[in-house]
Formats: sequence, structure tokens, C-alpha cells
Amino acid sequence: MSSDYVQVNHELRLMTGGEVAGLMAAVLEKKVPFRFTASGFSMAPFIRNGDVITLKPLPARLCRGDVVAFIEPCCGKLMVHRIIHVSVAGYLMKGDNNSEPDGRIPPSSLIGLVVRVEHLGRLVRLGGGRERAAIAWLSRRGWLIPFVVSVWRFLKPVAGKWIA
Amino acid sequence: MELTLDMICIPSEDIVARVIEDELVIVPLTAGIGDADDELYTMNETGKAIWLHLDGGTSLRTIVEELTAEFNATSEVIAEDVLGLVAELVQKKIVVVQ
Repeated sequence: MSSDYVQVNHELRLMTGGEVAGLMAAVLEKKVPFRFTASGFSMAPFIRNGDVITLKPLPARLCRGDVVAFIEPCCGKLMVHRIIHVSVAGYLMKGDNNSEPDGRIPPSSLIGLVVRVEHLGRLVRLGGGRERAAIAWLSRRGWLIPFVVSVWRFLKPVAGKWIA
Repeated sequence: MELTLDMICIPSEDIVARVIEDELVIVPLTAGIGDADDELYTMNETGKAIWLHLDGGTSLRTIVEELTAEFNATSEVIAEDVLGLVAELVQKKIVVVQ
């Protein structure tokens, strides 16, 4: 038997989505938030590659526009996307930067609600209920990115130096 | 505090442990948050075998006896391993002595 019992591990990103989801679920079951680093670009510009996301346990009721972590039932991949429509069949999810929705996700596949996003140490504004619903509405129609680009072009000359 | 085989230990409330792909992964809930970017802990086979016996109702001596029956090693060697691991886990606040 070895005497080198415990190792420190920084390789969470090497785990599969399902494995990380298992850890997330176990932490959230204790009603404790779970923080991790996002990878990928599907939720840009609101969540970017390398941003730090904090999840909380799912509330009793989720709304259109909420951003949630879930396991895609077909491939077991861990995703963090936005709810763009709620129905009895489940939640229609979509990455803000994706052209197509992920499909209906059953409530049993949801893990946690995104409550905080940090980009380079600064808090990213997730918006209130109406803002999130408006983002979901734009995203569902494929208008979100053109809208954000238009706003950015308008604001950049006056506020570019303050906006990352 | 010096650990003895008569003590009973239990995983701390401030951790979450999961077996993933046969590997035991421990997430400390530091400052009320589980942070995947902080240190996570994994254990080797010996550590995992001992950990799975830390149920809060079994003394370290009984764990040594159970592991001696399971593994091809003397009780002295296993007792040394159990006390070594538990001391490390107590120091890291992953385990508490009851």
C-alpha cells in the first residue's frame, strides 16, 4: 500500500461533461453554489471562453431568458445555455451565439441556474427578468447577435474605451 | 491532537466527494462555495479504500481490521496507512474526528 494518499488536482477540465455535472449536482444538492470556468463561445457575448460562472440550485420556477447548466440528453455533454421557450414538454434551450436551438430539454436534465458571470475579474451584467426575456426573444429569432453588433457599433465611438 | 486507532472519523460537512471513473474526487466547499478552479483532491487506491470505510460509525481500529481482511498486507502496515491518511485529511479539514 502506498503512502502517497492524496493528490491535489487541477484537471477538472479534463473530466467529461457528465463527470463535471455529477460534481456540480453533488455540490448544489448541499444548497451550496458551484463556481467553474466556462469553455467555448456558444454564449458569447454574455459568457465568453474563460469567464467564471457561478451556479446556484434551480429555483422552483425557471423563466424564459434564464441561463442554466444542463446535460444534453442525446450526447451527455455539459452545456450552459439560455431558455428561450418554456412549455410542458420541457425547456427550449439555445446558445446566444448559436444559429439553432438545442431542442427541448427535460427538467430532469437541468443542473443549476447561472447567477453570476465574471469576465477578467469584472462582473458581467446578466440583466433582470424583462431584459433576459427580451434577450431570449431576440435569440430565438436569430436577431440577438445582429442587435448586439448594431448597439456595439453605435456605442463604440463614445464608450469603447470603457467597454471590454 | 494525536490520532489513535480508537477514534472515529467522519467526512467533513464542508466537502463533496464523488467517485468519478473509479477515482475519488473531493471538492472542498471553501467559504460556502464549491469552486472547481480551487484545489480538488483525488486519492490513490489505498486512500479510496480507507475513505469508503469512514462512515462515522466505525473506529479506525475496526477499519484496519476490515482492510486487513480485504488486502494482502499486515495489520501494522494498514494501521500506518490509515493513521497517515486520516492525519492528512484532518489537517486538510476534509475529515473531522468525532
